[in-house]
Amino acid sequence: MRATTTRESFCGDLTANDQRNMARYNGWLVAWMALWVGARFLVEARGEQLAGPLGWGVVALTLVPGALAVGTYVRFLREADELLRKIQLEALALAFGVGVLFMTSWRLVEKVGGPQLDVNDPVLVMYVVWVTAQWLGARRYR
Amino acid sequence: VNNRLRVLRAEHDWSQADLAGRAGVSRQTINAIETGKYDPSLPLAFKIARIFGQPIERIFAPDGEAPGQAPGEPAPIARPA
Repeated sequence: MRATTTRESFCGDLTANDQRNMARYNGWLVAWMALWVGARFLVEARGEQLAGPLGWGVVALTLVPGALAVGTYVRFLREADELLRKIQLEALALAFGVGVLFMTSWRLVEKVGGPQLDVNDPVLVMYVVWVTAQWLGARRYR
Repeated sequence: VNNRLRVLRAEHDWSQADLAGRAGVSRQTINAIETGKYDPSLPLAFKIARIFGQPIERIFAPDGEAPGQAPGEPAPIARPA
């Protein structure tokens, strides 16, 4: 009998191919985050020396693993087990929708005296909704 | 969509994971199809039909019809054992 290589995860069961694609995505994501943190420290420590093309180069360098992370996620999604893809797409739709609503609504909140929105805040909201929606989606089909 | 996956699996003495491995999907997907929480794509339904060596309409049927039943035909009455 054929051995199964399905593995349970918080976002749904992953086939062997899903596990490989997820590992690639996570690898590039970690590389991007590490490079971004490194670049931020460098820019804060030596901002004046990095003004101009050198500074733009440092910023552009961080985009390389970031773009590869996006590319590997798209590949993961295209090749994913069909139920997993459904869970992911619903989570992405929810995260995008909530993020857009949060951004546009907060602009109104600012006009009526609320605190200024930081550019990182909507990203955090989208990320939290995305992860939570994956977990809830996976639970729904268990 | 109604289906006979659980019955066919039992006849072959396969677990959900066994069928998932053969169909190239996750065990969760097979479980969700069996419990009616998820309708498979057409390619997956054909793949499952090929695995069991049966026509697709013998395994899957639209809501309100039993698999193996001709369109418009009333559902067969279960006979006592």
